[in-house]
Amino acid sequence: MKILITGIGAVSAIGLDAKENLRSLKSGNTGIRKSPAFDLMMGEVNLTNEQIVQRLDLPNKDYSRTTLLALLAAKEAWGSQKPHPRVRTGLVSSTSVGGLDLMEKYYFESLNDKSSNAFTLMTHDNGRTTEWIAGGLGISGTIDTISTACSSGANAIMHGARLIAGNKLDRVIVGGCDPIVQFDIRGFSSLNIYDPEICKPFDDARNGLNLGEGAGFLILENEHSISLTGTSPIGLLAGWNNSTDAFHQTASSTDGKGAYLAMSNALAKAELTPGMIDYINAHGTGTGNNDLSESMALKSVFGDSMPAFSSTKGFTGHTLAAAGAIEAVYCVMSIQSQAFLPNLNFSVPMKETRLTPETVFRPDMHVRHVLSNSFGFGGNCTCLIFSKVN
Amino acid sequence: MIQPTNIVELKYMLKSQIIEELNLEGIKPEDIQDEAPLFVEGLGLDSIDALELVVLMEKYYGVRIPDEIVGRKVLQSINTMAEYIQEETAKTK
Amino acid sequence: MRITASSTISHQPTFRRKGFSTELSELKQYSDLIAPDYTPIIPAMDRRRMSEVLKMGIACSMDCLEQAALTQPGAIIIGTSMGCGTHTRTFLDKIFSSNGRLISPTSFIFSTHNSIAGQISLHLKNHSYNITHTQNSLSFEHALLDGSLCIQDGLRNVLVGGADELEQALFDMNTRLNHKELLSACGASFFILSGEDDATASVNLVDVESHGLIDGISDRIIEFLKSNNRSVEDIDLLLYSNSDQKTVDELRRIFGQQRLFDYQKLSGTWFTNSAFAMGYAVDMLSQTSHPLYETNLTTVLVCNNLVPENLGLILLDNMNP
Repeated sequence: MKILITGIGAVSAIGLDAKENLRSLKSGNTGIRKSPAFDLMMGEVNLTNEQIVQRLDLPNKDYSRTTLLALLAAKEAWGSQKPHPRVRTGLVSSTSVGGLDLMEKYYFESLNDKSSNAFTLMTHDNGRTTEWIAGGLGISGTIDTISTACSSGANAIMHGARLIAGNKLDRVIVGGCDPIVQFDIRGFSSLNIYDPEICKPFDDARNGLNLGEGAGFLILENEHSISLTGTSPIGLLAGWNNSTDAFHQTASSTDGKGAYLAMSNALAKAELTPGMIDYINAHGTGTGNNDLSESMALKSVFGDSMPAFSSTKGFTGHTLAAAGAIEAVYCVMSIQSQAFLPNLNFSVPMKETRLTPETVFRPDMHVRHVLSNSFGFGGNCTCLIFSKVN
Repeated sequence: MIQPTNIVELKYMLKSQIIEELNLEGIKPEDIQDEAPLFVEGLGLDSIDALELVVLMEKYYGVRIPDEIVGRKVLQSINTMAEYIQEETAKTK
Repeated sequence: MRITASSTISHQPTFRRKGFSTELSELKQYSDLIAPDYTPIIPAMDRRRMSEVLKMGIACSMDCLEQAALTQPGAIIIGTSMGCGTHTRTFLDKIFSSNGRLISPTSFIFSTHNSIAGQISLHLKNHSYNITHTQNSLSFEHALLDGSLCIQDGLRNVLVGGADELEQALFDMNTRLNHKELLSACGASFFILSGEDDATASVNLVDVESHGLIDGISDRIIEFLKSNNRSVEDIDLLLYSNSDQKTVDELRRIFGQQRLFDYQKLSGTWFTNSAFAMGYAVDMLSQTSHPLYETNLTTVLVCNNLVPENLGLILLDNMNP
């Protein structure tokens, strides 16, 4: 069964919709800058919560920023689609933060005033932030949230595809969202993997990651759904796999076993050989550990015939649960534009692998199949493969 | 900051703090040898413990470990940790 | 698909007790979790960092693998509402009390919702499919649905679990806001799903569905049964969770009082307690006779309506396919 992509939406530090994101990717303009609030380099979305509420014309309420970012991207992807009585429609979102931003906001209040405690505890619940997204889109029925740290967005896309392939749904809105919260800033800093400058994915002198925030959503449909909704497919989700590294809670194995398994199995699912991949959007966070481990895995899969590859996290920062979804949107746009996307801040290849990513936006390429990696805490490794629709 | 009066007392305190902060069940300060390796062998600590020890040094002694290279040298044993604390504390006097 | 193993840790004596369903009495207010001794199961150097939900997850997983005579599951799928709530709370407290100084990373490292599934895979050195669903009261149903998709895809020996730690403050507030006495509790229930061809198991997972943000449940229940070629009369027992008297009266009208049982009386209340209900049902269906029911049980429906606008349905039987 074909899993067709009929809508995309993205909000990040480099754009408030998919087109604006693409313009930034073309021009090489990063969205990572020194945050006045946190005094650290990060990829913040250029809108306050109040501005998002106004933009979406939402009732005046205390929403989690997770939900607000998601609604921007999900509404863009959904576009003018409507419910249909013979199209089973669902929503699979993902987040690692959930309502934690509200818990932080009301932390001191919650210690002193018990009546707000329930609200803050309930809002931590990831599922609730997804229910607000569903409410905002008019979806009921199959509503799910995946939470696997930095591979969440990719896993949500994969799960949505499997719900369609397993004949549970015909159409599904899939994606991921995460805002920047103190929890993650302090957390990654405590692990000593935060780059005080803009990150340098795959560079020999790379020094860690920068945090980012945002949301990415796609609409997946089967052919039955398209025949009734009348939408036009803009891409195909050809393959997917999730495998586990089982090496360490936060670090990846030196040989990248989990990543290797995810990529090999996704290729097998898509019935493609490594040589058929034209471009890879890597996880490439800029940490010493990830980029080495991922490079070793890439070499194991692709050998001497490495396709064009890049990490786009030098533009957006690491958007955690949103990463796999935002980057899925970028992969679809890579196919639409027939272009390789650039990897910013690269100058010296890693001595261990000598791999060199694409450093500028390259149009007029032959882009038929694109592979996207996302790896999360717990050794969670997911690979998605996107293809051009004939 | 806690100020131990001599190095013996410092090493004992370090061992107690390590046991508490790293949740080492069933281990007493007397069980930890001053010169024994802390990582892989000996106590068998791992990379997460290394990060915890960096925090411990700052929290209890106001002493910073600036990077992984220094960390590898300093966190080898109770002896190396105690020596580093004394050196760094002397610098700030 | 067959259920070849089942393991539950709860506020009742359920862990490693085959036939526990015949021995339980109603849970009292302020009960404690009856946790096993984790010492022989989890090495001290791993155990020292683990919050209760992580330990429960590993203990139940190991128990399931032992029951099914397996060394590895074919996939690991978890449903959890709050994930590692205690680690999250600890790290949050540290942020606000640290005045910008370095914070110890352990709580952050283990705060992600998928730490339960991740730690199980690390403990087993398992490289297979590993996913965590977190959709409050429907987290477990989504995990179970995912597990059934894996079986459809040809995977075997899929480990599926529902687990949550105690979130006392939440239930204290819920009680105050809703003026209801809730028996706050927590637990973990894990299962191994296998294909139709497994002859060693006696209980089947017939189907599972989850519906979010809905209005009214009766029609959906009837539709669910119909799609599985069942009618209301085929259900020997309906295990339900619901706090709305109107809905309970409706269920009573459709199924009759004798066939209804509020499983929260045994499990207590937490978001993923429908996993307990499934464990209880599997244990009952594995018995040849049951002291509470005169006829043999063959078909049990778990109806999770813990949150009024969410409905989870799990259909189980012990008939040969």
